[in-house]
Amino acid sequence: MVLAHQLAMESPLVQAEMIEATEFPELSNRHHVSGVPQTTINDGAGSVVGAYPEDQLLQEIQEALH
Amino acid sequence: MVNQLLNDDIVRQVKEVFDKQLTKPVEILFFGSQDDCEHCEDTRQLVEEVTAISDKLHLSLYDLADDAEMAQQYHVTMTPGLVITAQEENGNIDYGIRYAGIPSGYEFSSLIQDLILVSGRDSGLAPETRAALAELKQPVLLQVFVTPT
Repeated sequence: MVLAHQLAMESPLVQAEMIEATEFPELSNRHHVSGVPQTTINDGAGSVVGAYPEDQLLQEIQEALH
Repeated sequence: MVNQLLNDDIVRQVKEVFDKQLTKPVEILFFGSQDDCEHCEDTRQLVEEVTAISDKLHLSLYDLADDAEMAQQYHVTMTPGLVITAQEENGNIDYGIRYAGIPSGYEFSSLIQDLILVSGRDSGLAPETRAALAELKQPVLLQVFVTPT
């Protein structure tokens, strides 16, 4: 979780939100959350499950933007 | 008398870390709601207890409906909502760090780490990551779904 917040801190273009899935079941269902942590990029343009190292999460973000 | 959410041991441990690692002031913005918000009270109490541990930490309480303008400014739409901001003399810096729902269990340590990062005003990321992020041309929204464990 902290990594997403670190990315937000570094870039004014990045916002990162922790969402407690059980408190927001509709949003979690919409994003098909099955395993946690699940990181959804730009409302579903990309999605990764599990803890990703810095460089790999960054790569996923870059791919989601294309 | 409301029971403490954080026991004395936790408070002592967190205080030790905060005393060493907090440098500049941080303000947590809490957004609650009067209707249908099961975890608002617990979350408010949690951040009250956490911010009471260090004088570098501050807390402001808002209501999603009554303070709609603040909520919009900080992109808060869900409650309980938290925004971790850097407190500066000429206003707060919003880094885009938010929580929807209570940061309990494992995410409690995320909250503590966030407070330390924001206090230090530095992301702590690798130089290559910083360089890549500087090249970003469009907005990125990361939503990290977690469960309390």
